[in-house]
Amino acid sequence: MTDRLPVHLRDSSDIVLSVQHLTVTFAAGKKTVQAVSDVSFDVARGETLGLVGESGCGKSTVGRAIMQLPPPSSGQVLFKGRDLTRLSGEALRQTRTGLQMIFQDPISSLNPRRKVRDIIAEGLRIWQRPGVDARVREVMEAVGLDPDTAADRRPHQFSGGQCQRICIARSLALDPDVLICDEPVSALDVSVQAQILNLLEDMKQRYQLTMIFVAHNLAVVKNISDRVAVMYLGRLCEIGEVERIYARPVHPYTRALLASIPDVGVTDSANSLPLLQGDLPSPANPPSGCRFRTRCPYASERCATEEPVMRAVEDGQGTDHFVACHHPCLD
Amino acid sequence: MSTVIQREIAQTDSPLLEVRNLTVRLKSQAGIVHAVENVSFSLDAGKTLGIVGESGSGKSVMARALMGLLPRLGTAEKKGVISLDSENIADWSDKELRALRGPRMAMVFQDPMTALNPVLRLGVQLVEPLRLHMGMNRQQARQRSIELLSAVGIPDPQQRIDQYPHQLSGGMRQRVVIAIALACNPQLLIADEPTTALDVTVQKQILDLLSSLQKERQMGVVLISHDLGVVASRADNIAVMYAGRIVEIAPARTLFENMLHPYTEALFNSIPRLRDKAHTRLQAIPGRPPQLVSPAPGCAFAARCPYAQQKCHRQQPPMVQARAEGHQYACFFPVLDHTQGEHNHD
Amino acid sequence: MTLPAEKTKPNQQPHIPSRAQNFARALQQVFGRGFGPGFWLCVLWLLVVILAAVFANWLPLRDPLDPVIANRLSAPLTSNVLGADGLGRDILSRLVHGSRVSVVISLTAVSIGMLIGGSLGVMAGYFRGNFERGVMAVLDIILAFPWLVLLLALVTFIGQSLFAIAVAIGFLWIPAYARVARANTLAVVQREYVLAARALGASTQRILLREVLPNVILPVLAYGLVAMGLVIIVESALAFLGLSVEAPQPTWGGMIAEGKRHLATAVHVALVPSITMFLTVLSLNFVGDRLRSHFDVKESNL
Repeated sequence: MTDRLPVHLRDSSDIVLSVQHLTVTFAAGKKTVQAVSDVSFDVARGETLGLVGESGCGKSTVGRAIMQLPPPSSGQVLFKGRDLTRLSGEALRQTRTGLQMIFQDPISSLNPRRKVRDIIAEGLRIWQRPGVDARVREVMEAVGLDPDTAADRRPHQFSGGQCQRICIARSLALDPDVLICDEPVSALDVSVQAQILNLLEDMKQRYQLTMIFVAHNLAVVKNISDRVAVMYLGRLCEIGEVERIYARPVHPYTRALLASIPDVGVTDSANSLPLLQGDLPSPANPPSGCRFRTRCPYASERCATEEPVMRAVEDGQGTDHFVACHHPCLD
Repeated sequence: MSTVIQREIAQTDSPLLEVRNLTVRLKSQAGIVHAVENVSFSLDAGKTLGIVGESGSGKSVMARALMGLLPRLGTAEKKGVISLDSENIADWSDKELRALRGPRMAMVFQDPMTALNPVLRLGVQLVEPLRLHMGMNRQQARQRSIELLSAVGIPDPQQRIDQYPHQLSGGMRQRVVIAIALACNPQLLIADEPTTALDVTVQKQILDLLSSLQKERQMGVVLISHDLGVVASRADNIAVMYAGRIVEIAPARTLFENMLHPYTEALFNSIPRLRDKAHTRLQAIPGRPPQLVSPAPGCAFAARCPYAQQKCHRQQPPMVQARAEGHQYACFFPVLDHTQGEHNHD
Repeated sequence: MTLPAEKTKPNQQPHIPSRAQNFARALQQVFGRGFGPGFWLCVLWLLVVILAAVFANWLPLRDPLDPVIANRLSAPLTSNVLGADGLGRDILSRLVHGSRVSVVISLTAVSIGMLIGGSLGVMAGYFRGNFERGVMAVLDIILAFPWLVLLLALVTFIGQSLFAIAVAIGFLWIPAYARVARANTLAVVQREYVLAARALGASTQRILLREVLPNVILPVLAYGLVAMGLVIIVESALAFLGLSVEAPQPTWGGMIAEGKRHLATAVHVALVPSITMFLTVLSLNFVGDRLRSHFDVKESNL
């Protein structure tokens, strides 16, 4: 099974990033935890893939594993054709300019002792790119910071939203191909969140970026993504085009997730039935077979013994919808 | 085992909690922070008041002020009336308030990880308020604790009661926190961002739990959140806070159908919604939340308000009554008609 | 309904304080809470001690080595300002010249500790793994030795010159510094800006120099002041055992040791240097502690 490419990976020359059978294992005391277990997906040029799931699902770990920070335990990460997992040391360092990342906590992502100008220019200086000052200025203006007032200040003089703009500017300075956003708006106020989301869309257009957007807020992910992948306890449950998945989710977990979201304007949801029972199992000791079966209203014997494999969803709505479930809700 | 508490409902026309002109100023390195300015609202037994605001809106400080939990040395000023069951408790000493906390009012905090003492078993933490306020002996208290744990939906309470907090998940821990808060049957429950630290699927379970417990016990609940969605679905009335003031307060349905304050509207419009299409441009609110130290005169939202006029920068808008019952707002130029975008120009 | 403009308008430009405002705020922080009059008094005292050490030879004092038997054990404010010791030597002058020893030894010892211990600590904290375990094991062994015995051994080996004593004490300080440096490095390395630097393609050397070091150095330096106080005490203990700088060069510890004999008759011979040493160590502790908490608070406010 590990030799064949999973069915939901696309065969196209447009694919910039292809993650295959990614597995990340941590040692936690005496136990080993598989934070990410055999996850595969791809991202085409100019696309935004939303990676969504609750705590412990491994979505942030996937983002860092793609960046090889640290490298995954097994699997391949093909970036523009080259397998990053096979590179190390200097060869790996050379690939850094193509893949950049922004993090959840904008303030701790910035060195408090350095000036904003130096923080943004750091990448350019490392790789000795010419025109540092001009590029820094350009990128600062692009993210909505005034270079003349902001460049010589230090991070603690800025708000959370502004710090996130600085982080975005820093990543864009090197003109990367792929930008991985790891919960970039979760730590921000609601009103600032909208500013940053709009900014990311604008930057994507302006700099021709391909993005992977990791978040737990489903509405935010829908707003910014072209495709979405849903993760649970280290596995991929469902992946496909965003409108299709949100309109007609097929995996029981996706359905429960979408049903749990309190929707503004609906003033009487206290009466609706919860589709999810029980608690999240411990990642160190996941259920056998399908990991979601302990909370799934449709679980059967087969779910305990056989791990579901990604299959296409045939509902006449196109080709981009895949689910890993023995009893998908195809109504 | 159901524990329906029969509560003597006092005169129906006197609210459970009434707050009038509450003002709190705190000391900080940067100066005096005007955390809460002139806040007034009332809450009836059996109802939920939702309070919505972003960071710096003053909602958490206000919650602590209600419970009398403000930092003693850090508070520069606290004035106003906090009337619980027609008694003004705003100036009560800590000793007097301690008698209230538990039996009359209780609070649920945001982070269940830090709300529970990690080195004490759950049973010990549950039993404490029971023995303190209700005068139970050890046996009775333990029995009651097991009942409470099952009332909040924890399976195997006899086993769980002897476990430590770290052995439970976040959702379970929050349930225990709620159990502790409800141990002495308070009339008033203040929930400060009770589900923010939890996953969205667990969030729903906890909110459902709070709703059912409230109905059973006819408690008044103040539900504080930055998430409009959480508050929208559970509150009878909603108050929107900005820079320490309430800018709009209305019954939930009225608020969403007919919001009048530009901040409420801007907040509502800036949140991505599930039913919007992907890549919908969000209407972001420009600028940043206001400075609470030496605030500028006039309306605090004026700097970011798309409808602001000269008057807004100079004068503080008073709370005025809107057409609908229970709907008040503080704005000179409220949003009157969404479809046509007309405004009330004075 | 017009949509509000996306970019911040000029009157909505985020409030970034000007240079002057920043400076005023820094001054206010320094002169305001946290850095009260006690702090400045201690700083003043330390300045006096340092100036005394530097300018000892040029100050109008009597010869510290010159015994004037006539003045033996004379009380303060009689023949000598601070009195005279058992050999009639001027205590004030000996105190001033002795400060040189204290200042040099504490500065040198702490510098050695900081450079070697600090580097080891930073590297242990950054690289982790077996290197860290090895380094910490060696340092634990050094710490486990009774420090006096260790110093005895070192002094016997290297001799009793000013420099030798300083090196010996410095060696003793390496484990303490390594611990402080490692703890601070561990905290810094966890921060996302270090991860971001790696993501940008920075080499290990660059990360250590530009990201880790600037954030570790301030708490480490602040600890240095406290350490200096401890070094002065260690030196005086050595002097008591006769293992410090050789007589007749005055040292504070040596003066206390000599004054021990005269405690019954002329207590000032031991008391005056004791008070001086007490004030100096107290000042170092106080200033060091205040600076450390000042920098820690600033970090956590970010």
